[in-house]
Amino acid sequence: MGLLNNTLPDNKLVGAVDTAVGWGRKSSVWPMTFGIACCAIEMMAVFAATFDLDRFGAGIPRATPRQSDLIIVPGTVNAKMAVRVRRLYDQMAEPRYVIAMGACVCGGGPYVKWGYNTVKGVHKIIPVDIFVPGCPPRPEALMDGILKLREKIGREAVFARRNEANTQMNAKYDAVS
Amino acid sequence: MNEQQLHDKLRATGLGGIGELESSARDPFVVVEASVLLEVMAFLRDDSETAMEMLHNVTAVQRETGFDVVYHLCSYSRHHSLTLKVIVAQPEGEAGDWEPAVPSVASVYPSANWHEREQWDLLGVRFNDHPDFRRIILPEEWIGHPLRKDYVYPSTFGEIPLELDAIPLYERDENDPPKPSEPRPAGTPLTQPPSEYSTRPDAGGRAPAPEKKGES
Amino acid sequence: MEALEMYTVDDRSDVYTEELKLNLGPQHPSTHGVLRVELSMDGEIITASRCDIGYLHRCAEKIGENVTYLQYTPYTDRMDYLASMNNNLAWSLTVEKLLGVEAPERAQWLRMICAELNRIASHLIAFGTYGIDIGANTPFFYAFRERESIMALLERPSGARMLYNYIQPGGLRRDVDENWVTDVLAFCDDFEKRWAEYNTLLSNNRIFIGRTANIGVIPQDVVYACGATGPVMRGSGIKWDLRRDVPYLKPYEEVDFDVPVGEGTHGTLGDCWDRYWVRMREMMESIRIIRQGCAALPGGEVMEKVMKKMYKTPLTPEAGEAYMRCENPRGELGFYVVAEGGTSPIRCRARAPSFCNLSLLDSLLPGTMIADAVAIIGSLDIVLGEVDR
Ligand code: SF4
Repeated sequence: MGLLNNTLPDNKLVGAVDTAVGWGRKSSVWPMTFGIACCAIEMMAVFAATFDLDRFGAGIPRATPRQSDLIIVPGTVNAKMAVRVRRLYDQMAEPRYVIAMGACVCGGGPYVKWGYNTVKGVHKIIPVDIFVPGCPPRPEALMDGILKLREKIGREAVFARRNEANTQMNAKYDAVS
Repeated sequence: MNEQQLHDKLRATGLGGIGELESSARDPFVVVEASVLLEVMAFLRDDSETAMEMLHNVTAVQRETGFDVVYHLCSYSRHHSLTLKVIVAQPEGEAGDWEPAVPSVASVYPSANWHEREQWDLLGVRFNDHPDFRRIILPEEWIGHPLRKDYVYPSTFGEIPLELDAIPLYERDENDPPKPSEPRPAGTPLTQPPSEYSTRPDAGGRAPAPEKKGES
Repeated sequence: MEALEMYTVDDRSDVYTEELKLNLGPQHPSTHGVLRVELSMDGEIITASRCDIGYLHRCAEKIGENVTYLQYTPYTDRMDYLASMNNNLAWSLTVEKLLGVEAPERAQWLRMICAELNRIASHLIAFGTYGIDIGANTPFFYAFRERESIMALLERPSGARMLYNYIQPGGLRRDVDENWVTDVLAFCDDFEKRWAEYNTLLSNNRIFIGRTANIGVIPQDVVYACGATGPVMRGSGIKWDLRRDVPYLKPYEEVDFDVPVGEGTHGTLGDCWDRYWVRMREMMESIRIIRQGCAALPGGEVMEKVMKKMYKTPLTPEAGEAYMRCENPRGELGFYVVAEGGTSPIRCRARAPSFCNLSLLDSLLPGTMIADAVAIIGSLDIVLGEVDR
């Protein structure tokens, strides 16, 4: 039970388990098939032959949120879609990770000034792990984002996916949704 | 047929309310009265010489004096096209949220169905006798018609924040709900560029670099 | 035994059925974006359908009324993001019509070559994703391999991989490098071989034909009534192509190409396979056009001197309005711009081909099986960025 609450002192056993499970998690990230706008085409290019995301164990896009642990949000989220993005995120099982792909989901992008119904950054709706800027980001940039995410997953403790501050944030998020 | 011949043909039908041909415009157009619009459209479609098979586009334009509704018609068998316009003047003393109305042509050209719904959604032009009259692009609960010149940009839609500096949903404090933002004047965009970006860095507009801590 | 006898096929009145509401989208791998369709089902058969769009509305028309004519070019990229060159072209032609200027000769030919290259790239995506919709995953990887070569070619003059912002009112942003034409011709040679590969892979596959022939038949009068254009129109056997019938660029008058139309090869005229096959043959016609364009490419400037001068201040066309139609990979894109003398128009309307093609769907789906709905949506080849703008 101490392990679940992350109250065990750091010792060799826990550290070894963390490393092993982290290695397993980071090597089989399953993204969700989810495309919104222009950036989705570049995301498809990353999955396709030339860039081949399968090299990093993230090449099987799943069609349902319940089977996936990474949601890449590629493209402008507007008021109508934001509700759906929230719901998709809610349906994913922990541990779940979010990559915001493109200027639009990082902070409004080209639609920041006159866009009357665009959400200026998907981090207003769901917590984001990695931001990949660019309009659209080149496939290399997205791959870099996924590599960064792998590093992040590899460093995490097994049962506490997020640090103290993030846990509080998640609790607040659950209260809102 | 060129536009002049098409106009002559239209005049020959004897329908009233068909205006002159504006041939000086880049795309010559004919202004017709809303009351005869359906008859004119049906004639242009069914006559074997005009044979306008397709209504290409329906657009509403807001001007200072009222609204124009513009119809682009094309013939694919005869290779010609014609532009029709219905002008709805704003009556004296009407407020800014006045909704002009024209007859729907969806019964003549079914392709008008979605175009007209879009014009209602974005510009607030009513199309009478439309088969399925509701918003098409924005959600049903949206307030206002965004392409109006006096549209007030919303700061939230329901729970969804739409401003750049809004607090994320999951970071909100329930005991301290965000205050409703100041009502903004019509037409001001949602985001003003931050003032420190508006001057060049070498002109002294850059914020001072943060002091380095812990250096010894 | 009595219970079993009740459920014989002939006597359906005793079988208890119930209408089922099914939501397709907005997050669904086969809707090509964020389209939502509400389906009413009777068993496997669709009885009614209702499209719900607007999940990618990005205020393009409002932005057009607030930015200058030149600043709007990147936003046209983002409407139909699979065919940005063609969108740039349509916008530039509209502004040129408003200003009464014309691009120089070399720019016109380069515009045509770029637009046709982008048409191939766009049809390749239609081909690859249609394979995925039907259940064949491999064509997707082949299609993206060739698409990458096209993107590499277009990246060299424009500097961007996907949203080029290369064609501008008055000409092109800059000239191509000296080896570009040779490389384009090398790509054409390569592509012809690949194209034959695609046909053995997908087009003549028995399962693929079984899934698409005789499905989603669009009669000609429905095409006209719903305003469908492009491959959807030609798939139903209407021989119409703006490039041939109303040439909007001078080079289109001079090059020689065919307009492929559906012939009902594997069933009824105007079915999904016909539309698919029109797209496939259009790629080859584009190759033909590119070859002729590269051979006849004249020298000279790519941007008018007048325009270069005009760009020192924001463009201010005289009051007036212009409507311009262009043949995009998905159909006829029309821009309707109303100017009143300022630096930005007062109305900037885009008549999007996908929007009109999609309005067919509600009349097409009732009476078909649920599995065919995916084939039909895929054969219309919509881009939601353009449907919603
Ligand atoms: S960031 Fe750019 S490319 Fe990506 S969705 Fe937004 S506009 Fe499209």
